[in-house]
Amino acid sequence: MKEKILSVGIDIGTSTTQLVFSNLTIENTASAFSIPKIRIVDKKVIYKSEIYFTPLRSAIEIDGESVRKIIEKEYKRARIQPEDVDTGAVIITGETARKENASMVLNKLSGLAGDFVVATAGPDLESIIAGKGAGADLLSKTKRSIVANLDIGGGTTNISVFKDGEIIDTTCLDIGGRLIKINPKTMRLEYISEKIKKLAEKMRISLEVNKEIRINDIKAITNRMSEILEEVLGVKEATEDLNLLLTTKDLKRNYNIEYISFSGGVADCTYEEDSYSNNFQYGDIGIILGKSIKDSILFEKFSIYKPPETIRATVVGAGSHTTDISGSTITFTKDIFPLKNIPILKLSEEDEKLNYQSLSQRIKEKVEWFNLDNGNQQVALSLKGVKNLSFKELQAMAESIIAGMKEILNLNIPLIVVVENDIAKALGQTIHRYLGYKKDVVCIDSVRVENGDFIDIGKPLANGRVVPIVIKTLAFGY
Amino acid sequence: MVSEKELREIVEQVIAELGGKSSKDMIEQVVQECTDIDNTDNSELPDITTIDLKKQLLVPNPENPEEYLSMKAKTPARVGVWRAGPRYKTETLLRFRADHAVAMDAVFTNVSEEILEEMNLFTVKTKCRDKDEYLTRPDLGRKFDDEEIKKIKDKCKLNPQVQIVVADGLSSTAIEANIKDILPVINQGLEGYGVNTGTPFFIKFGRVPSMDVVSEVTKADVTCLLVGERPGLATGESMSAYIAYKSTVGMPEARRTVVSNIHQGGTAAVEAGAHIAHVIKEMLDQKASGLDLEL
Repeated sequence: MKEKILSVGIDIGTSTTQLVFSNLTIENTASAFSIPKIRIVDKKVIYKSEIYFTPLRSAIEIDGESVRKIIEKEYKRARIQPEDVDTGAVIITGETARKENASMVLNKLSGLAGDFVVATAGPDLESIIAGKGAGADLLSKTKRSIVANLDIGGGTTNISVFKDGEIIDTTCLDIGGRLIKINPKTMRLEYISEKIKKLAEKMRISLEVNKEIRINDIKAITNRMSEILEEVLGVKEATEDLNLLLTTKDLKRNYNIEYISFSGGVADCTYEEDSYSNNFQYGDIGIILGKSIKDSILFEKFSIYKPPETIRATVVGAGSHTTDISGSTITFTKDIFPLKNIPILKLSEEDEKLNYQSLSQRIKEKVEWFNLDNGNQQVALSLKGVKNLSFKELQAMAESIIAGMKEILNLNIPLIVVVENDIAKALGQTIHRYLGYKKDVVCIDSVRVENGDFIDIGKPLANGRVVPIVIKTLAFGY
Repeated sequence: MVSEKELREIVEQVIAELGGKSSKDMIEQVVQECTDIDNTDNSELPDITTIDLKKQLLVPNPENPEEYLSMKAKTPARVGVWRAGPRYKTETLLRFRADHAVAMDAVFTNVSEEILEEMNLFTVKTKCRDKDEYLTRPDLGRKFDDEEIKKIKDKCKLNPQVQIVVADGLSSTAIEANIKDILPVINQGLEGYGVNTGTPFFIKFGRVPSMDVVSEVTKADVTCLLVGERPGLATGESMSAYIAYKSTVGMPEARRTVVSNIHQGGTAAVEAGAHIAHVIKEMLDQKASGLDLEL
C-alpha cells in the first residue's frame, strides 16, 4: 500500500527565488509477516517554478510582499492548493539569511507553505540541503567514496562533504556570483560586498562603486576566489584570505575527497562551454567566476561530477530531502502534531553507559543547563538506546527518563523522546504507564539527531504508524 | 586403524617411490610423530559459533574487502566462505555442523520448568506423547485429550478479551530466549490500551492450530500464540506470534495475523511485544484478523 506526501520546497537566495513541488512516496517494505518497515521509496519533483531574481528592498532586505506574490502565482500555475501540501521547507539562504528577513518572510508566507515548514536554514543546513539536492550524498554512496558538493550561488558557496551517503563536513564561504555587480552597458561597478572589497584591497585592486571596472581586475579577483576554493578543499595551502571569506568554521580536511560536484547558479558556467555572448550579461561576475573555477586545478585534482540539478539543487533539496520519516513502531498517545522547532537535548555515549540511577541524575543536570540558556521550554530528549534490551532494562530506562525529566514533566507539555535504535514503541508504552497514563508521550525512533538540532514532527501518516520529521541541523560538526 | 607396523611400511614405500633412500632414522622419526598421542593439545577448543559470520570474510586477497563485507552485513547467508578444491574449508564445514546442532537442540530440548514457573505458566499437553511423535504426527500437535481441556477450563478466566498462550513449537530455545521480555511488554501494552487479558499458559508439543482449540474453550475475543519457529542455520532463537480474532478449529489460515522473526538479530522481543499489543488492540476495534485486518 503506497501513500503519497506532497512536499514544497522554497528557496529564497541572495540572487534567485525558486519553488518546487515533490511527491514523496512511502510504502511498507517489510513482508506481511514482519513488523512494518515504512520507508520513503520514491522522491519525484513534479513541478519546478521559473527562476526569479529575489525581490530585494536593499542589498540585504527581502521584499516580502513581492516574494509572496511570486509564490502565489506559482501555486496557481502548479494547480496546487496550500492545504494540499503536507510538508516541506522554506529556506532563506546566502547573504539574505538574516533573522529579520526570516521572520518577516515566514509571516508573509504563513498559510501558503502548508502547516509544516522550516523557517531558516543557517549555513550548515543550507550546505547539506544543496548537497542532497545535487545528489552528492547518493553519489558518495554508490561510488563508496567521499564527495564534496560546492553550491556556488549569488552570495555564498556552501560546501558539503559526504562519505558513503552520510554527511561528514560542511562549510560556507563568501564566494558568489553577485558579490560584485556591474552594469553591462556602462561597465561601471554597481555593488561590491564588504568582504570582497577587503580581498581586492589586499590584492592592491581598488574598486569603487560607480567607477568603470577593468576586466583584468575582475578576472584577478575571480581567480583568487577560485584559489581560495582550492585552499578550502586542501589542494593548496590555506592562506589568511580563506579565513577572511569563511562565514562559519573551516572544513576539517582530514579525509580524501575523490569527487567534486558543482551546483548553484555559477555551476552552469563551470560545466558549459563558453556560450555567453557577453560575460556580463547578468550584470554580475558569475560567468567569469565560473570560468576561473573551470580553469582551476580543481578540475585536475578531483574527478568532476555533473549533478542532475545545478541551479535548482538547493530548492530541490528543500522540497525533496528535508522530510524524513520515523521508525514504524512508535508511540504517541494523542495526535498533538505538528510540533515545531523542538530543541534537542542529546545524551552522550558516556551518559548512556551510566547506570540508570546516575543516568537520571545526568538527564536532570542537562535539563537544568539547557533551561539556564533557554528558559523553561519544550525540549526533546534524545538518546541512542540499547538495541536488544530486556524488559527489566526497559523499565529502568523509562524510570530514569521520567526522574530526569521531572522539571519538563511539571510543565504542561508532552514528553518527547527521540531514540536511534528501534525501541520507541516499547519505551513509549512503558513511560506512559509509569506516568499513570496521565501525560501525553511522544516517543519515536530510527531518528538520529545531535545537540543543537531542532526537530519538527508532522501529522502521522500510514494509518498512524509513522510521523514525518524534519531535522534542522543548525550546528553541524561542533 | 592402521597399526604402527603398517604405518612403517607405508612410509618406507612412499619414500622409495619418491626415489629417495629410506634411512631407518627418518622412518622412525615420522612414525614417532604420527603416533605420539602425548603431543596432543589438550586446551579448550575455541567456540566457532561465537564468530559473527556477517563479519567473517574467508576469501583470500579480495579485490574490495570493504564492499564485500558491507554486502555480507546485509545477509546471514554463507557467502564469501571460499573453498578447498571443490569443497568447503574445514572451518566452514565445522561451523555449518555446529549451527545445525544448535537447530537440532532447539527442536529436541524442552522449555525449562524454572522459566515456566517464573512466568507463572501452567502446562497443558497436546495428544503427542513425546518429541518424536510430535515431529511425525502434526495432526496430534493441534489436539488435546479431554482432561487437558478440562484443565484449561478449570484454571483459566473464561471470556477474556485476549487469551495469550505460549507453545514450544519447533524451538524450545526460542521460548526460553524471548518469553521473559515479551510477555510483560504485551501485558503492559494491553493494560495501557485498557484491554483485559485471560490466564496465560504453556502448551507442550504444541503446533499453531492448537490456539484454535484454546480460543473455542476460553471463548476469548482474540487469541495470541507465542510459538518457537522452526530453527534455521542463522538462529535457533526465533519466535513468532500468531494472532487471530475468534479463531475456530478448521478456520482458513488467512485469518491469522503473524508477527515473525522475533529474536536478537530480527525484531527485539520488547519492541515486538509493544507492536503485538497494538495489533491486538486493532483486532478488537476492527473485529477482524489476518487478511481482513487493516493495519
